[in-house]
Amino acid sequence: MRQAAALWVVRLDDPSCSDADRAAFEAWRGESFEHEATYEREAVAWARIDRVRALRPGLQRPDADLLAATPQPQPQPRLSALSRSPWARGLAASAAMALLVAGSLSFGTSTAYATAIGERRVVVLGDNSRIELNTDSKVVVRFKRGVREVKLIKGEALFDAAPDARPFVVKAADAVIAADGSAEVAVRLRSDGAAVTVKKGAVDVDPVRADAKDDMRLTAGVAAIYDSRGARSRVVSNAEIDRSLAWRQGAIALNGQSLAQAAAEFNRYNHRQIRIADPSIAHLRLAGYFQTTEPTSFVNAVTSAFPVSASEGADGAIRLSRRS
Amino acid sequence: MMAQDDEDRRAWFRREILPLEPDLLAYARRFCRDGQTDPEDLVHETFARAIACKTWREIGNPAAFATRVLRNCALDALRRRKVLTITAVADFERIEPIDEAPGAQSIIESREELQALADAIAELPTQCRRVFTLRKVYSLSPDEIAVRLGLSVSTVEKHLVKGLRYCSEKLGRRNERKSKADERRSWSGIRDHDAKR
Repeated sequence: MRQAAALWVVRLDDPSCSDADRAAFEAWRGESFEHEATYEREAVAWARIDRVRALRPGLQRPDADLLAATPQPQPQPRLSALSRSPWARGLAASAAMALLVAGSLSFGTSTAYATAIGERRVVVLGDNSRIELNTDSKVVVRFKRGVREVKLIKGEALFDAAPDARPFVVKAADAVIAADGSAEVAVRLRSDGAAVTVKKGAVDVDPVRADAKDDMRLTAGVAAIYDSRGARSRVVSNAEIDRSLAWRQGAIALNGQSLAQAAAEFNRYNHRQIRIADPSIAHLRLAGYFQTTEPTSFVNAVTSAFPVSASEGADGAIRLSRRS
Repeated sequence: MMAQDDEDRRAWFRREILPLEPDLLAYARRFCRDGQTDPEDLVHETFARAIACKTWREIGNPAAFATRVLRNCALDALRRRKVLTITAVADFERIEPIDEAPGAQSIIESREELQALADAIAELPTQCRRVFTLRKVYSLSPDEIAVRLGLSVSTVEKHLVKGLRYCSEKLGRRNERKSKADERRSWSGIRDHDAKR
C-alpha cells in the first residue's frame, strides 16, 4: 500500500499529471482512511526530501557526472535495514548477568548449589564450566578422579561444559548425559524422567534403567525426553530453544501453550499460585512473553484478552474462571 | 466547505501526528516483543485511525492521543488472533507513554535529518540514485529525466517510487538507535527488578 501511495505522490508531483490521474487519485484516497494516512506519510516524506537541495554543492562531488549521465561503477546497494530480534538482544544482555563464582573444588568432595522459588543462580566451577540454575532447583557437583560429574537433584539447569580432558557428565532422573568437549545443554526434570535440550555441541544420553536401544546421541538443535515410556528426540528450532531458555532472562515465553500449561509454568516460580477453577478455560491457547515473578501481570493480561475473570481464593491463590 | 474540512484534518495529521513516527515506532516495538506483531503495522494502523478522527480539533495533546490509539491498536491486534498473543498486554502497565513534547527535539534533529537523507540517497542503487537526484535535487521533470537517461517515463517513475520509499522508511526510523537503547534500559530494568526480590 505504501508502494501505491508513493506512486501517487510521484505521479501527482509530475507537472504532466493529467486530470484523469488526479480524479483516479481522489477515488483511491477516498477508499479508506488507511489510504489517506498512507498517502500523507509518503507525501510528507517526499516534501521533506526537498531539503536535500540545500546540500546541492555537497552532493555534486559524488554526482558530478550526473547531469552528463556517464556510467558509474555499481555500488553495493544497502537496502535492507538489519533489525535484530528482541531475543538476540535479550541473549546479549544475559551475558552481562552477574556471575556467582564458586570456589575451586577439590578431589572427591561434593558441593551442592540450590535456588529458592523464583530465584536464579549462575555458578562457575573450577574448570570454568557454568551452571545456570532455574527456580527451585538443586545440583550437586562432584569432581572425581578423571570425571566432572553434576547431579541434577531438582528443577532445571543449563550446563555449559568447558573444554577439558575429563568428560562432563550430568546425571538426571536415572540417566547419564555425557558431553564430549564443550557443550551447552539444558536439563529439566519432569514428574517422570527428564527433558534434555542441546544448545551447542553434542551429548550422549544413556538412560540407566532403560533398554540399550534408548541410548541417544543428541547434537545441537535437538531436544529429547526420556521417561518410563522410553526415550524420544526431535529437532527443535533456535527460536524454540530460546523460548525454552527464556527463564535465563527471568521470563516465560509462551507459544501456543494452553492456559493450564502456562499457569503450571508460573506456579514453578511463585509462591502465589494460579489455579484454574473452570476446566472450560484450561485449553485456551496463548502466546506471549511474561516475567516469571509477575503472576499478577500475567493474570491481568489473560483477563483483559479473554472472557476470564480472576478472584482471590481463601489461600491467597489466584483463581481463574469463565466470565459470565 | 467539506473539502476544506478534510484539508484541515489532513494538515493537522501532517503537522501533529506524522512527526511522531519514530517515537511511535519505538513505542510499538515494546508491544511486539514476541515477534508476532509487526511494529510497523501497528504504527500504520495508528496513523489510519488518527487521520480518521473527526474530532481532531478537540485534541489538546496529540502525542498522548496517538499513544492511546496505538495502545488500542495493539490490543485489537491481539484480540484478532486465533492463538491469542497477550505479550503486550502483560507489559501494558510497564510501558510508559511516549514523550509528550517531541517538538523541541525534532528541531535539534533536523540537521541530522538532512544528513540522514543525504546518506539514504547515497545508498540507493546507481540508476535509482541518479533518477532520484535529478528529480529531487536538480528538479528535472520525469519527462526530462526519461529523455536525458534514455529511459521510459514509467521506469523513471519506478525509480522515484523506490527512492521515496527508501527515504521515507529511513526518515520514519531515524530514532532507531535511541529506541534500541530504550530497550536495553528496559531489560536492565527487568533484571534490577528481579534482583530486588
